[in-house]
Amino acid sequence: MKKVGASGLLPAGLRDGLPPEAEWEAHVIERLMAGFAGHGYRRVKPPLIEFEDTLLAGPGQSLAPHMFRLMDPISQRMLGVRPDMTLQVARIAETRLRDVARPLRLSYAGQVLRVRGSQLRPERQFAQAGAEIIGTEALGADLEVILMAAEALAELGVRHVSVDLTQPLLAPALCQGLGLDEERARDARRALDQKDVAALRQAAGPAASTLEALMAAAGPAEQAVAQLARLPLPPPAADMAAELSDLVGRLRRAAPDLMLTADPGEFRGLEYQTGISFTFFARGVRGELGRGGRYLSGGESCTGITLYLDSILRALPPADGMRRIYLPPDCPLAKARRLRAEGWCTVQGFENVGDPAGEARRLGCTHHLADGEIREVGLA
Amino acid sequence: MTARNEPLVIALPKGRILKEVMGLMRHAGIEPEAAFDDPGSRQLRFATNLPHVSIVRVRSFDVATFVAFGAAQLGVAGNDVLMEFDFSEIYAPLDLGIGRCRLVVAEPAELRRSDNPVRWSHVRVATKYPGITQRHFAARGVQAECIKLNGAMELAPQLGLCRRIVDLVSTGETLKANGLVEVETIAEITSRLVVNRAALKTRPVEMNDWIGRFREAANAA
Repeated sequence: MKKVGASGLLPAGLRDGLPPEAEWEAHVIERLMAGFAGHGYRRVKPPLIEFEDTLLAGPGQSLAPHMFRLMDPISQRMLGVRPDMTLQVARIAETRLRDVARPLRLSYAGQVLRVRGSQLRPERQFAQAGAEIIGTEALGADLEVILMAAEALAELGVRHVSVDLTQPLLAPALCQGLGLDEERARDARRALDQKDVAALRQAAGPAASTLEALMAAAGPAEQAVAQLARLPLPPPAADMAAELSDLVGRLRRAAPDLMLTADPGEFRGLEYQTGISFTFFARGVRGELGRGGRYLSGGESCTGITLYLDSILRALPPADGMRRIYLPPDCPLAKARRLRAEGWCTVQGFENVGDPAGEARRLGCTHHLADGEIREVGLA
Repeated sequence: MTARNEPLVIALPKGRILKEVMGLMRHAGIEPEAAFDDPGSRQLRFATNLPHVSIVRVRSFDVATFVAFGAAQLGVAGNDVLMEFDFSEIYAPLDLGIGRCRLVVAEPAELRRSDNPVRWSHVRVATKYPGITQRHFAARGVQAECIKLNGAMELAPQLGLCRRIVDLVSTGETLKANGLVEVETIAEITSRLVVNRAALKTRPVEMNDWIGRFREAANAA
């Protein structure tokens, strides 16, 4: 075997997609996008690179530490490689599609790049597919996006999907209502995120018991919102709790079998969200399958979902081997065309070989054509 | 939906607190197979009286890694380990109140007398906790150059490796015996029950049940 040497080395967190995984990822993206299109979402395609200050404007600020930067030799301005696509889509809606009727439904798929992978996702480049609904405050939009994503995952064959719901601004509102100063509130929110009771007690002092009760109100969604309803919440937090409860009820009626959890005190990673947010998991699968929620863009209320293809592929059974058939050199072109139309991948041989089955096997085919008949290759 | 029989792996730390942890485990209704208590056994994974529950015994730092990556769903880890790694995928919902100690900065007694921390811009520190140490000193504007050691930190100042250490202290006897004094406490340490985030989200009833059982065990102890 030829020695590969260092020429095959890629920078950390980057990899070549090979068959069949690369084909499988493309296929999964296509199916997700078709699902979104079926719900009336129109596809947009933002550029890979933008001006740094546009990418980081407003809610994008939180992504600054993740962004690769380069200098544009033409404009002499700093450019950023997108670390996420949601905010690009929001920018498109706010600028070039500002005159299009609301609510505006947009979808997208593409690669994103991050300076550093996370603990669970060491990849620096990965694929996202998502859908955003822009310019409506209706709870029906949150419902639509969650159900659409759950349905898309189920149709792909992801099993044991569960959706975790949160209200990222509830804990801050509660901290404020409890009179915690900024530093204590920050420590308390951090403790809530890590579900660290000891740190929460230390941060919140006498106010800890209410926040502890908020932390405890996590688990199966119906149970969690019921627990939340019993807490003495100040007005803005109480409204958020009611909204969450309303959504849980509507989701349950629409999808009785969907596994729903709620964790109203959680804040993590929802840097730009301003209302109900959600995370998709699958039992036994490392990491999140996707996440999304409410945010503000150019004064408009939006919600959306971003799915992470690497986690989704981990949650799916291994790619089905495609039906590949080896065709001998004398196979008529019309026959090959017919086979492709029937869904076969044809692999044309160029020279006559003594053992066509062996040749088919050597080229990774599952079948070969002999005397006009399709035959299984079988194992050697 | 309850999936009671899905495998559950619990990661426990080897070493000094294991005995106390096992007291809590038994109180929570988990009894490991006999090989667990056999010092001669080379086994790393142990069955328990519950057919779907198994225990792995690993180094304390590795407990956090196993749980963060979902290789184990539950574990016991000190907040020193949790602070060092700052794993986003770990929840620490219960303070077990065992393994109590402190994470401190220490230096030789004679250095302490002449040292003025206000003037520091750079310190060299021997520690098992480079992450915590760097963050701790950076927060006060001091750059910490860490020499990573896996044990016997107290030797480092004596042998001229560096002048300061960051280490766990329970009674302070080891420090004293090596001519070191505490300069400041970075954190109070206890052991926590830790839970993998995705496991808590996707198996909430079961995981909350275990948290509840360990809470009772910790309260009873």
